[in-house]
Amino acid sequence: MDTVAAEGLLSASWLVIALPLLGAAVLLLGGRRTDAWGHLLGTATVVAAFVLGLLCTVQLAGVEGHAVDAELFTFVSTGSLDVGAGLLVDPLSATFMLLITGVGSLIHVYSIGYMAHDPRRRRFFAYLNLFVAAMLLLVLGDNYVALYVGWEGVGLASYLLIAFWHDRPSAATAAKKAFVMNRVGDVGLALAIFVMFAQLGTVSYEGVFGGVGALAGGTLTALGLLLLLGACGKSGQFPLQAWLPDAMEGPTPVSALIHAATMVTAGVYLIARSAPIYDLTPTARGVVLAVGAITLLYGAIVGCAYDDIKKVLAYSTVSQIGYMFLAVGLGPVGYAAAIAHLLTHGFFKAGLFLGAGSVMHAMGDEVDMRRFGGLARRLPVTFVTFGLGYLALIGFPFLSGYWTKDAIIEAALDRGDWAGWLLGGVAVLGAGLTAFYMTRLMLMTFFGRPRWTEDQHPHESPSVMTAPMVVLAVGSVAAGFLLVQVFPLDTWLEPVFGVPEEAEHVVAPALVGLVVTAVMALGVLAAWLFVGRREVPEVAPARVSPVVRAARRALYADTVNESLFMRPGQWLTRALVWVDNRGVDGAVNGLAATLGGSSSRLGRAQTGFVRSYALGMLGGAVVVAGALLAVTAG
Amino acid sequence: MTDVAIGTGEAVVFWILGPVALAGALGMVFSRNAVHSALWLVTTMLSLGVFYVVQSAPFLGAVQIIVYTGAIMILFLFVLMLVGRDSSDSVVETLRGQRVAATVLGVGFAGLVGAGIARATRDTGIEGLGDAGGTGNIETIAGVLFTRYLLAFEVTSALLITAAVGAMVLAHIEREPGSRQTQKELSRARFLTDRPQTLPGPGVFARANSVATGALLPDGRTAEDSLATGIEPREVEQMPRPTGRAQLGSPDAALGTTDEPR
Amino acid sequence: MTIEAPDLSLAALAPLLFVFGAACIGVLVEAFGPRDSRHPVQVAVALVGTLGGLVTTVLLAGTREVTAGGALAVDGAGLFLQATIAGLGALSLLLFAERNLDPARSAFVVSAAVPAGSVRDRELLTVQRVQTEVYPLATFAIGGMMLFVTANDLLVMFVALEVLSLPLYLISGLARRRRLLSQEAAVKYFLLGSFASAFFLYGVALVYGATGTVRLAGVREAVAGAEGGTLVVLGLALLVVGLLFKASVAPFHTWTPDVYQGAPTPVTAFMAACTKVAAFGAILRLLYVAFGTEEWTWRPLVYGVAIVSMVIGAVLGLTQTDLKRMLAYSSVAHAGFLLTGVLGLPATGDAAGSGLPAVMFYLLAYGLTTLGAFAVLTLVRSGEGEATHLSQWAGLAQRSPLTAAVMSLFLLALAGIPLTSGFTGKFAVFRAAIEDGAWPLALVALLASAVAAFFYLRVIVLMYFSEPAVDGPTVGVPGLPTTIVLAVTAAATLLLGIVPGAVLGLADRAAIFVG
Repeated sequence: MDTVAAEGLLSASWLVIALPLLGAAVLLLGGRRTDAWGHLLGTATVVAAFVLGLLCTVQLAGVEGHAVDAELFTFVSTGSLDVGAGLLVDPLSATFMLLITGVGSLIHVYSIGYMAHDPRRRRFFAYLNLFVAAMLLLVLGDNYVALYVGWEGVGLASYLLIAFWHDRPSAATAAKKAFVMNRVGDVGLALAIFVMFAQLGTVSYEGVFGGVGALAGGTLTALGLLLLLGACGKSGQFPLQAWLPDAMEGPTPVSALIHAATMVTAGVYLIARSAPIYDLTPTARGVVLAVGAITLLYGAIVGCAYDDIKKVLAYSTVSQIGYMFLAVGLGPVGYAAAIAHLLTHGFFKAGLFLGAGSVMHAMGDEVDMRRFGGLARRLPVTFVTFGLGYLALIGFPFLSGYWTKDAIIEAALDRGDWAGWLLGGVAVLGAGLTAFYMTRLMLMTFFGRPRWTEDQHPHESPSVMTAPMVVLAVGSVAAGFLLVQVFPLDTWLEPVFGVPEEAEHVVAPALVGLVVTAVMALGVLAAWLFVGRREVPEVAPARVSPVVRAARRALYADTVNESLFMRPGQWLTRALVWVDNRGVDGAVNGLAATLGGSSSRLGRAQTGFVRSYALGMLGGAVVVAGALLAVTAG
Repeated sequence: MTDVAIGTGEAVVFWILGPVALAGALGMVFSRNAVHSALWLVTTMLSLGVFYVVQSAPFLGAVQIIVYTGAIMILFLFVLMLVGRDSSDSVVETLRGQRVAATVLGVGFAGLVGAGIARATRDTGIEGLGDAGGTGNIETIAGVLFTRYLLAFEVTSALLITAAVGAMVLAHIEREPGSRQTQKELSRARFLTDRPQTLPGPGVFARANSVATGALLPDGRTAEDSLATGIEPREVEQMPRPTGRAQLGSPDAALGTTDEPR
Repeated sequence: MTIEAPDLSLAALAPLLFVFGAACIGVLVEAFGPRDSRHPVQVAVALVGTLGGLVTTVLLAGTREVTAGGALAVDGAGLFLQATIAGLGALSLLLFAERNLDPARSAFVVSAAVPAGSVRDRELLTVQRVQTEVYPLATFAIGGMMLFVTANDLLVMFVALEVLSLPLYLISGLARRRRLLSQEAAVKYFLLGSFASAFFLYGVALVYGATGTVRLAGVREAVAGAEGGTLVVLGLALLVVGLLFKASVAPFHTWTPDVYQGAPTPVTAFMAACTKVAAFGAILRLLYVAFGTEEWTWRPLVYGVAIVSMVIGAVLGLTQTDLKRMLAYSSVAHAGFLLTGVLGLPATGDAAGSGLPAVMFYLLAYGLTTLGAFAVLTLVRSGEGEATHLSQWAGLAQRSPLTAAVMSLFLLALAGIPLTSGFTGKFAVFRAAIEDGAWPLALVALLASAVAAFFYLRVIVLMYFSEPAVDGPTVGVPGLPTTIVLAVTAAATLLLGIVPGAVLGLADRAAIFVG
């Protein structure tokens, strides 16, 4: 990939990151005096970043090779040592930049209404801004260290936002869980960066991708797997998926922005960005495929059983990101499809979450769908926008999801071997399950008999909240068509991923579309049969089949985690704490005591009398003269 | 290098004044009385001045004696006298081990440096001045001062200005404008009081010459006026009272002092 | 007899002439200026002088010449350090000129000669006049420091040492509040400083005796010709003692905490920032120009002294409860860190090692940071002046978040946390030491930094995570001068941490000694 030095507006691309960061800094440092206008500033900085990003992208389109390296600064450049950092604006990062700032702007606007009554609104906006800045750094950095810094930054912001209502024990626990599981992934990423630096002596994308060809196969596979571990942690992929649904304890705009549209797709970005590494290691790529396939089925199955509207959406996210992993695992044919699905998913999932937030807003923060019902009339705007998002998600023909999901399924089938058939089958099955659980969600929430309690008076949300929903709904409808047919994303991304070879279609695309649509229709029908026709009980029925019971418990993922990792982990922790208290703390405390003691003992020499100071100097002079004489004599 | 021998006279001068200079230095350090210290230092400086002269540096010798001994040290003595020679600090050492350590380190340092210099100069021969003196002492010094050491010489002026300003800062109390009366006003004010004449000096008719001894009035009381302000009257060791027959009929007896006769 | 006038390059002397000229004008203003307008005029004169010095050094950039009959070496390193001193000096003078913080409108006494605690002294406590001699005196000190780092001659070096020291002794004793402590500090500094000067002078005499010259270049030639031997080594030892005292390197640091604590805080800031630069400038020049060929003799010494200084500074800093004393021990530890960079000097004269630029950069970064830290100390006050006791800073972040944030920045920089100038500086000097094979020293330095970080961070923890005391100190609103100082130093601390490339490059290019 050839990059050119940044010129004109592109050399100001650092401003895209700096603006939200500035907002966060002002809000956090400014204290209470910014309470009155803090949320407006926060929103304005992100909108400004979006506008700037858009202009940058337009200019980028005119640049030869579509890739620009904006030298940010040289930290140290003296002789042998050259440490610096820069930004890489290429089609891939520009796409993410627009997604992050675009969806980010909408969600900021939405939050103005959603958080209007929260006393800590300013802090919320500060964290959101911080998140946007970190996420932009993650995608715009031109080296793995910048990516890692952004990676940890979004992790921090996510942790702070999940625990935003930290007076709720469940929120605090969820934040802790997210934090711990992300750490597991981060270790993988950190190790991968260490390996790169140790083997190649550089961490910049340019240097790494230029040098990977010379690495041994084992190292490459290890590198690929370590990066994958990092990606799984951040994107909630199997086996590190359990934190993502719990993370819904955070305010809904957070779920929409961080845990649906942007941060959780960082793993996809990482793997797509590291394409040159994966291109050389089929083993690691195979693992990516497996992870994607398992996760997409897992998320879809579990999504069918939950009654909590946000958790259903969360498992849906897990499942959809599984699609993206599947796509990037397919190699060059799948990269563009993955990014396209990522974009459309960003639109409709964010829209769905905002819709869910609007429903919760109306129902007094109720999340149990068994207590909803018949909301279509009370919340018309929410219903329509949510419905469009729903149709896009299940892949209703000619809406966004249809274009991008089909592309992935086609790409999987085009492998032609048994694995292709298997993966394609899984993906089609996933599409059917998606249609099932999403239809179930729609039916339970918007149709049927109202099952509200007495004191609930659902009402439509203010326009500051509905406006972003409308925008996102438009996106959910049109984005797929635009990205696949009007402005083909794969052409735009060619400078990054290269031109994929024209694959022979094993199954005709039209046939694939038909089959997928048919399976989707089956899913919808099944949902209507099981849910829509009958009365929805207000309490989940207890006597259900083992399959449903397993799904309700997230296929025992938490149980497995608990018995395999948490219990032994706690055991180990206890043992370590014991060792720490007795051994390490003893040593540390001993050291501290020794230092403190010697400090006060030495301090006694500081008597305050000049003659004693002079004596000390004389002693020093004797030692200095003696030492010099000894050195010359010896 | 010309082979130069040291004349007998020079050797004699060195061996006499060398110990004197050294004794002066030690005396200066170990004297408990500040005036004595200053005088010991004068001794050392005078000896050094003679050394300079003997070593064909009459100008330096003269400067040493006139400036250091004559001006600076005498100024020191004036100050010491003004401050009062008995305002000395306590010489009791309160820090444990300070004296021992100081002695050990001092001797150690002297030994180290002394041994080092002795070792380094052991084989150094005697070297005459040659024509280092050039056309004469003063011209040569001037030449060096205004060429090679010009910068050091000029910058020394900054040092002197600083010293002068510093002395002013530490010692000079600026009077508030208007707070100082003119001679005329002072004079008027004086004549409005009960005592227009000058105050009696201290120690008049007394038997001690310290400023802390008040003047004695004819009736033997102490004249409080005679004490300078700021000095507390106190018992000062007085000369013994005259005793014995020879003094009978002296003014003391005639005026009938209040003291008991011994 | 005719005397040939020595070559005097007025251009090369211009920075010094500017500063000394301003000082002399200041003295004249003191003598003849009307009392009411003296303060602003003095401030203006002093600032014009130092800034003029700064500008002229910048204009001289690239000059390499030996002038004034060989007594002055105007070269890259010298100009860099001169500019550093002039800039830091101007900032310190701004701190001197602050009129808003103290209720009596200055940190300096009205009349130093009035006995402390007397009736007159109490009367004068609230009078707004100031002993304006501090400005010319400080300007003289700055001039002396600028001469110190370019002195190419042991005699000039000694005179410069005195020119820079004498005013410092004086202005240390001019605090308006806690005057006895301040006067005690001045006397201690004077006595110990004279003691150190005596060592230095004895060293000059021995070196002159051994080599017959006081020119640094002459000494180098004589030493390379193996003349002198023991005498030269003894002389070097004594010279080094005198310089290490000024740089407050342990074991010659004992004056530092007492004087830093007693002196008026602006003066402490001035000493901590500028004196350190000047002393290290002279150490570098002496060791590099005069004794560069004899590196093997002084290397073990500097090695040992650096370790002692770092350890003593870091360990003793742990138990300090007064912030000024704590910063004093921090200064001792930093002197040790700087010495690790001095070790990175190349043994041969021509190749530019990484030690010299590293030390130069460190001096600039440390000077700015410590100046800022002391400037923050002047803001936090209780009824009897500055509140420097650690307990009084508890919960400061709640009273004044901005002050606490700025102080935290400076403390983090002193601790050497990345993205601050302190990190870059430490990185540079440690790297220089490691490149020169002194990695055990760098290891000790890292451990000492870790220990020292504890007491810096303790202050931050105290400011942010403690409940404020009920009758705690107030945070004054600084006037323009202190605001400028805080803004410049904080910005520089950040910039030198984030984008140090330009300044590091400048130091790299400037790292040349002539003479």
